[in-house]
Amino acid sequence: MVLAYTVAKWRKLSVETSMLSAAVTGGLAGAFIRTPPIGELARHLVEGSFTYLDVILVFTTATIFMAIVSESGGIDYVVRGTIKYFYNFRLIVLLLLMFIILIPGALTGAGSVSILVVGAPVALAFGYLGISKRRAAAILFIVAGLSAAAPPVNIWAMILSAGTAIPYVGFELPLGIPVLILGTFTVLVLGWKRESSRDKESVLKDMPEVPGSMTWWKVLLPFLTFFGLISVYRIWPFSFPILGLSLQFVIAAIVALLVSPKRINILVLSRDTIKRLLPLLTTMIIVGMLQQIMTATGVRGLLSYAVISTPLILLFFLLALIIPFSEGVLTYGGAAIIGIPLIWFLDSIGFHATIAIAGLSLLWPLGDGLPPTALIGRLSVMVSKYEGSYWRFLRTTWLPWIVITLTGILMIIFSSKLEFLVRWSM
Amino acid sequence: MTSIWKIKIILLAVILAVTTMAGIQLYRHRHFQVPFLAGPGVTKVVSLSDYAKGLKGTMADTYVFFLEGKKEGGKALILGNTHSNEPAALLSSLIFLENAVMDKGTLIIIPQFNNSGSRSTRPGDGYPLYFDISTPWGKKTFRMGNRDASPVDQWPDPDVYIHYPDRMLLSFLDVRNTNRTWPGRADGPLMEQVTFGAMEIMKHENVDIAIDIHGAETMFPVTNCIVAPDKSMRIATMTSLIIKAKEGFESHVEPSPSKFRGLSHREIGDYCDTLPFLLEAPLPFLDQPTGPKTVDLLLDGKDPFLLSLSKKKKLFVPYDENGWPMANRVGQHCSVILELIRQYSRKKPDRAIKIQNVPRYADVIKNGVGFYFQDPLKKDKKNIYYN
Repeated sequence: MVLAYTVAKWRKLSVETSMLSAAVTGGLAGAFIRTPPIGELARHLVEGSFTYLDVILVFTTATIFMAIVSESGGIDYVVRGTIKYFYNFRLIVLLLLMFIILIPGALTGAGSVSILVVGAPVALAFGYLGISKRRAAAILFIVAGLSAAAPPVNIWAMILSAGTAIPYVGFELPLGIPVLILGTFTVLVLGWKRESSRDKESVLKDMPEVPGSMTWWKVLLPFLTFFGLISVYRIWPFSFPILGLSLQFVIAAIVALLVSPKRINILVLSRDTIKRLLPLLTTMIIVGMLQQIMTATGVRGLLSYAVISTPLILLFFLLALIIPFSEGVLTYGGAAIIGIPLIWFLDSIGFHATIAIAGLSLLWPLGDGLPPTALIGRLSVMVSKYEGSYWRFLRTTWLPWIVITLTGILMIIFSSKLEFLVRWSM
Repeated sequence: MTSIWKIKIILLAVILAVTTMAGIQLYRHRHFQVPFLAGPGVTKVVSLSDYAKGLKGTMADTYVFFLEGKKEGGKALILGNTHSNEPAALLSSLIFLENAVMDKGTLIIIPQFNNSGSRSTRPGDGYPLYFDISTPWGKKTFRMGNRDASPVDQWPDPDVYIHYPDRMLLSFLDVRNTNRTWPGRADGPLMEQVTFGAMEIMKHENVDIAIDIHGAETMFPVTNCIVAPDKSMRIATMTSLIIKAKEGFESHVEPSPSKFRGLSHREIGDYCDTLPFLLEAPLPFLDQPTGPKTVDLLLDGKDPFLLSLSKKKKLFVPYDENGWPMANRVGQHCSVILELIRQYSRKKPDRAIKIQNVPRYADVIKNGVGFYFQDPLKKDKKNIYYN
């Protein structure tokens, strides 16, 4: 599989096509010893392609929703407002923007939703604050990743809790405190320095015009609809129907369309949005296929075995690599393949499972910037309109990356000493 | 036509062929029917939808078999395939269904509790679609299902599942997990209706004990055990001690955590008078660090990675070159169930339940699981229930 991937990359095929070649080659190689039988190979590939269907639907509907808000002039309006009122209060404006990124991901458990919903306007605001596109993309990537780890919804922790029969309770402080500290550290380290300086009036003059009839309510209403639908289910879970994130985004998109001061051709906008998202959606489909083939052939088990067999001290050092890379290759699949046996193992030798899960949860989002998927990294680059080298963007995140890694690993090592955070959360 | 278009057309044809082939296999799997043979003890067969109306006409509806003794006594409920990727549960409950004869009391069996899950696969996990059990008259084929109900039957999932009625936050996937949706609601999501139906059976039929059969990874601490809340603890402990002494295998007792909601061993005991027990037998197939997910691994439980990890003392059960075969797991369930019922009958003689003709651990290991399945071709058709 590795060879097929390497050859495909050497032939300058895209990441998606290279991963597909790895999956098909792995399946064919496995079929020689009936793992899986050749007659089952097509089924494994197609079944695997459905692994992340829900995530794909959320990406698609969230992006169309945001595209409507953007097309209506809402983003320009928000950015103009932020700059107008907070341009001279750098600490406040940076923290405010950090919270704006944290909220959607914390509520949905998906950092990508943060980027898709608020990424573009926040990136523009960073630009007007004198932060380069590269640094803006870096802040978005790290903070959106932290938003996915933030309570109340942390999908890695939920997968691990479900797989290890540990209740998904008591995570508020073990996740909330490090996310807020690390988020603040990130925006200050990457955003404090003003790389270009302009006065507020000239910035406001250069900003795109907004439709005259645009108001705060017209911008807020679609977002209020979305968060309102999420909140209503949280408040009245037993009387409000389960809509799912995709339908919630569709309803919010319809509201955005209805309140837009500009006439929007929804068919053209949807077509262009899907075209833009296609590489990302393809990656998700092929990661699912790859995951299925790796399991059917035993490669996934081998990787999992290698992790669990590693001596404990070495394992702690290797977590800095293993966890982000597992996310880069398998996205949430990494939590199931490596995380579940790892937590069982740590739990059995006296580590506190809830804190250890919280610590691991800080490391996984870093992998969303790593190829082949690089899910949040690519989205961050896309919405911030950074056009330079991807690796250069990734290198910009080095300091927050190291601090987050150390925090996560230290939380695991000292999990039993941090157990009070779980008690205080309950 | 340019060469790029030719390539696109060829690729499209390949995708169509692969998708059609896979689609047919997955459709056949979802609609594949397994014959459940009602044995000599069966006196009544109803549907779960008789207790939870919303299930009528859905893939979540399932058969409920009653085995009523001539003498009045207590009542026991056996739930198989709460998780349809733990097939020793289904096989054990079918052994009871096809063989048990009641001397006293009533046995109620729901062999395919999460019917929707049994008709689904687990994308990303590379499971086989079917597995065969050898019998004296040939092979009996079963569907390999998934832990959760099929999204075809219950969708969409919420962003987070809020457990009814305790409001505990659970993974979004758990809304389709019939061991997280207890005690359920009549008008809740489909899987809450399934557990609600079972709760209604327990309340209306005055069920004394409920036994939910599962399988768990060898690397999972809660494996090879009986999980019981405080009210069931004495019977579970006695059962564990007796089977260890008399039959020579381990099945230790684990307490049901009071703050972890939605599980059968927690909610059944909290919301009705029935005493709940959850049985776990080791299931190497579910472990993450294993070789390919094959039918052989499912049936014999032999895996070189697990063997190596066992030598490094990283498993929670004894594990050697013999693996953990299906007959051991099914035999273990049969013996533990019989002993739980015996212990309950000793404690409450007026509600005693007496069962005959069900094999114990040593019998199943000696004869194999398939030995206890009847040939559908030799059975009166009215006693065959296709599920």
